[in-house]
Amino acid sequence: MSEEFLTKIFPNGLTLLGQKKDDVSSAAMTLLVNCGSVYDPSALAGSSSVAAEWLFRGAGDRDSRALNDAMDALGCQHDINARSAHLQMSAALLGRNFSEALDIYADILLRPRLEDETFGPSRDLVVQDLASLEDEPARKCNIMLREKFFPYPLARCSYGCEETLAAMTPAAVRNHIQAHLVPDGVILAVAGKFDWDAICEQVENRLGGWARQAPQRPALTPQAGGVTHIQKDSSQTHIALAYKSVVCRDEDYYPARIAEAVLSRGMGSRLFTEVREKRGLCYHVSASYTALKDYAGIFVYAGTRPDIAQQTLDVTVSELRRLAEGIEAEEITRAKTQLRSSLIMQGESTSARAGTMASDWYHLGHLRSMEDLSQKLQAVTEQEIMDYLRQYPAENFTILTIGPEPLDTSKIEQAGGEVA
Amino acid sequence: MEFKQAQLDNGLKIIAEVNPSAATMAAGFFVRTGSRDETPNVAGVSHFLEHMVFKGTPRRSALQVNLAFDEMGANYNAFTSEENTVYFASVLPEFQADCLDLLGDILRPSLREEDFNMEKGVILEEIAMYEDQPHFRLYDNLMTQHFGPHPLGNVILGTSDSITAMLRDDMKAYFDSRYSPTNVTLVGVGNLDFDALVDQAESLCGSWQKFDANRTAEQTAGTGSKGLIVDPKLARQNIGLMCPAPSGQAEKRFAAQLLATVLGDTTGSRLFYALIETAIADEAQVSYSPMDGAGVFMTSVSTGPERTGEVLKIIDDVFQQFLEEGPTESELQAAKNKIASHATLRGEMPMGRLTSVGFDWVYRQEYVPLEKQIDELFKVTAADLLALAKECNITGGTLLTLGPLEKLPE
Repeated sequence: MSEEFLTKIFPNGLTLLGQKKDDVSSAAMTLLVNCGSVYDPSALAGSSSVAAEWLFRGAGDRDSRALNDAMDALGCQHDINARSAHLQMSAALLGRNFSEALDIYADILLRPRLEDETFGPSRDLVVQDLASLEDEPARKCNIMLREKFFPYPLARCSYGCEETLAAMTPAAVRNHIQAHLVPDGVILAVAGKFDWDAICEQVENRLGGWARQAPQRPALTPQAGGVTHIQKDSSQTHIALAYKSVVCRDEDYYPARIAEAVLSRGMGSRLFTEVREKRGLCYHVSASYTALKDYAGIFVYAGTRPDIAQQTLDVTVSELRRLAEGIEAEEITRAKTQLRSSLIMQGESTSARAGTMASDWYHLGHLRSMEDLSQKLQAVTEQEIMDYLRQYPAENFTILTIGPEPLDTSKIEQAGGEVA
Repeated sequence: MEFKQAQLDNGLKIIAEVNPSAATMAAGFFVRTGSRDETPNVAGVSHFLEHMVFKGTPRRSALQVNLAFDEMGANYNAFTSEENTVYFASVLPEFQADCLDLLGDILRPSLREEDFNMEKGVILEEIAMYEDQPHFRLYDNLMTQHFGPHPLGNVILGTSDSITAMLRDDMKAYFDSRYSPTNVTLVGVGNLDFDALVDQAESLCGSWQKFDANRTAEQTAGTGSKGLIVDPKLARQNIGLMCPAPSGQAEKRFAAQLLATVLGDTTGSRLFYALIETAIADEAQVSYSPMDGAGVFMTSVSTGPERTGEVLKIIDDVFQQFLEEGPTESELQAAKNKIASHATLRGEMPMGRLTSVGFDWVYRQEYVPLEKQIDELFKVTAADLLALAKECNITGGTLLTLGPLEKLPE
């Protein structure tokens, strides 16, 4: 696992990160731009998702079709999504085609066309994404839970709502995008087969002159929290709940990840064993650590038939709480082995490496080698895990359910009012 | 990268693509059985059995199986399709022996009554879960409608009724008729010791008794029928079209992969420009599924119910135009580059290579290195794609829509 990181911070605030892997022929990139859904003005909620569609509809000398065809001709797999803080763009292709793809991205950042005639379809796709969510209750449940758990509008549904989407004008969204497509805080991470000096030069030439002011973050309101039930005649009752955890830069991050693994990593984990294997209450049950920069939580989801949904919720919550009563040494050993192995497996994927580098830089302000991360995880003691669990107990849940009947949550203490 | 192969006396085949520079290894037992090998009274048994394989053996309880995988930090799972059931794990090379011991052991499950009854609940949950996901419902129902009485129309999960009624002994009988070592291939990829793999397979699987477990793979062109499932609870209309495609054995499978990409990849394809760029639909895709002696192209689209007629007309126009002109050279080149990139990226991880190496063997008893696969892909011509599109009659085929729409547009 010998890893060498390459870092270059440009005067305009753009950070370029690299990790070379010489035994592969691919190169992958993650690009984070400060134009996530948190910056959407209330009246323009959903504009970051519209931006994700609109930005690829022509840039520089290429119209929409030419841009798409150029990416396809390079065999470039690409994706763009509106996250909380960022528009996240990712691309993966053969290393020998990387610099051509980077040129296209430079155009998208600096010279997006954002034309009136391509606005309508971009917006309409988001309108349809929002409508499709009604047919996918599991996905909707998790999106709505995030919105309620984090201080608003940090995790607002990035599709916005019907009213804001309907009222949007090309000019308003264009102004919003142009104000937020700024180099300050941009993170560009590249992993795989590439020539670092050539990339530095290309970024300098293409993006070095990019200079605009960083936008202000909107003020946050406390989390909504509480219990929400959405009535739906679905086949399953979808149960999602979340409670507070530590942020990535916290010292307790490592014990938190071990605790999460004991709870939900692998089929021998607590939740899988108790809820699914011993009781047959569901097919899917999981808990996962989810972090924004300044807030984090453990997010739990279970899908279950309505007649056993109450039991599923009760057993799940009792398992979350039982963790703080003690963890066996073998459980900790297993969790550590799983995390070490999973890090090595991630290291084999250039896309995963690029994503992790960008995320580490954003959350921590520095890069963390897999070896360093692995060692820190291995060093965690049982005491540290128990201390973490006492400090961040499975309490003050934010709960969201979708299904035919609401569940009884009276026995579960609820959150409300306070910032997560 | 080196290819190795061996066979046990009972017929179980062992193949591996060994790559000493990889950081991990992946191994899988590929069992040639799935829903097409079921009779109606045990609909869903292949998949239910896949779950039961993790429920223990004479040596291990269900919990011990799960814990053993977790103890080696394995990334592991299994899947069941119409015609394959695959059990796989990816581990660090130091766990090769532990991983094989476990996989080899669970392939002869105890099928304990108590575990069987508990797992039934999980399967019923899984069926309910997919009922809340329209694109899975569309796929299942379209396969059934397209294949009609042909066994490829059997639904993988079965139904709530067939699962509820199923007995443990029914499953045991199915196991005894399908899990012959002659129907099993052990596949390894990555940083592994092949000789050790064979020795261990011999001691774990050498005593498995072989028996006749063949499958008659009858050809079918599909029903070509039109159907409508009305579900007023849905907001969107899900449209599916299915037509025949080259089988898993056919040489034309590379052309088929390219044809699906040109017509309906999620970016830059004909349907993308006609339906997604115009925002007439929010999803539109053509996928290619090669199977044993059969194959299908499936076109799936999600749109507003009121636009169903318009969408069907557009798909027909797009396909019709393709039949008149075939792909442009740049379209073809882009499709080749996309598929080659995708295969290369997947191939950089042993876990990503496992199914390619495994299925090349299961379907054609051949090993195709990634480079050769890409070479073959690049040999396909525009004329090949056009000929294939005509042969498969892409504008015909079976149609199913699922959503609030109460009647098919004229």
